[in-house]
Amino acid sequence: MSSVGLDLRRLAPGHDDLTAEYPAAGALDAAASKFSFRRIQTVRQRVTSYAGRLPPWEMRLSDPAAQPIDLDQSLRLCAQGERDALRLIYDLEGGRMLGVALRILRRRPLAEEAVHDAFVQIWERAASFDPQRGAARSWIYAIVRHRALNILRGEVRTDLTADFDDLALASPDESPETVVAMLSEAGALRRCLDRLEPDKRRLIVLAYIHGLSHGELAARLAIPLGTIKSWIRRTLISLRECLA
Amino acid sequence: MSPHPVGEGDLDVTAAEFVLGLLPQADHAAAERLLQEDRAFAQAVAGWRARFTELDDTAPVLPPGSGLWSRIARNPSLAAQAVGDRRAARPQPSALSIKPAWRGRSLRAMAMAAALLLAAALGYFAQDRASKPVLIAVLLAEGSAQPAAVVSAYRDGRIELAPLQPIEVPPDRALQVWTLWDRAVGPKSVGLLDQARSTRLTTEGIPATGPKQLFEITLEPRNGSPTGRPTGPILMKGLAETAL
Repeated sequence: MSSVGLDLRRLAPGHDDLTAEYPAAGALDAAASKFSFRRIQTVRQRVTSYAGRLPPWEMRLSDPAAQPIDLDQSLRLCAQGERDALRLIYDLEGGRMLGVALRILRRRPLAEEAVHDAFVQIWERAASFDPQRGAARSWIYAIVRHRALNILRGEVRTDLTADFDDLALASPDESPETVVAMLSEAGALRRCLDRLEPDKRRLIVLAYIHGLSHGELAARLAIPLGTIKSWIRRTLISLRECLA
Repeated sequence: MSPHPVGEGDLDVTAAEFVLGLLPQADHAAAERLLQEDRAFAQAVAGWRARFTELDDTAPVLPPGSGLWSRIARNPSLAAQAVGDRRAARPQPSALSIKPAWRGRSLRAMAMAAALLLAAALGYFAQDRASKPVLIAVLLAEGSAQPAAVVSAYRDGRIELAPLQPIEVPPDRALQVWTLWDRAVGPKSVGLLDQARSTRLTTEGIPATGPKQLFEITLEPRNGSPTGRPTGPILMKGLAETAL
């Protein structure tokens, strides 16, 4: 126990017993990852639209823009038990999904948990995805948002307004206005959000990207709770009209 | 569905509030049921998801932690079907019809099949090795010889914490997990918990766990230590040892 009896704050130089020795990464793991790269390429080939497809030897995983991936097709392959198709979705969208989850959960381990659960659900529910009822991408993001919101409710639902500094810390430049400015000017959502009064625009964007509740929105904007509720409903109705 | 606001008034606005995550707990659950049962509501939800999904694209793309994919792949619902029934049972013609370019190239197909088999075998063994911890740290409660938590480090780099005793955490405090592998670098935070629960620890910016690496948990402000170093009382600590 004596070597453990060290306080991190009082560590004096010279405690060799705390010097880490790192085992080299297993060569087997490296070999396995090389092969899985091959496998992903073969699936990628199958889910890439045939028009303008590059020959397989010219494909680059790191260049999704050059390879329009058919997410519908990836989901169909998932439904057939093709794990590499799920991996492909993960490679393409996993990073952004983590960003979406972190905006809501603000703690990385929780956000990774949400992404983990989302991919398991995508796998399990791929067969139920119906392209007639919406785009694959919006389906995938709905799953991760939904999971993140449920984690937020179940596990860390506390009075989040008190620690909003924490939020600022997680994403220093991300005001609702910045987020709206990132939307394409050509898009309908941008046009319709721009038409709203600033406070109402902030309400909708904050609710969507951070999963804030009515109470949290009321505290954040210093507006009475009842007003918040009716504002949101009215704003949603005018958004719907604008977006129709 | 009767007493809930869901179903009353403008169902489409309720769908939007559901998508935003604004419905109170009971209504949220009711809306989830309605989503399964009511086609009109499901369509309204899909419509709002599609309208708002552009906001998902404004989220930052974050590199997921190195172990996230392997954790997804190890999930029983994926692992069960990796080599098993679902693949064998899948209708082959549709799978073939989407890669017409490969038809007839039997030699290449066989080479590919051999590569896939090898990859699957390597994956299998790598997974087996990854499922056993290579290093374990038993954290002892400060001032007692009681084991209070176990930290397990796996070959794939993943580190997990499993508390063995409940810990009373005051409402404005959190448990912060630290590790120290190099005195020159100092202790690094690898996790922040609102309560004692099993969790994966962050491995970002942390080298692979080595023997004698120190892990400890301190009580910190709810958002974590303001200084990035342990400031609160040590609750438990222990050194990683190689697992046999």
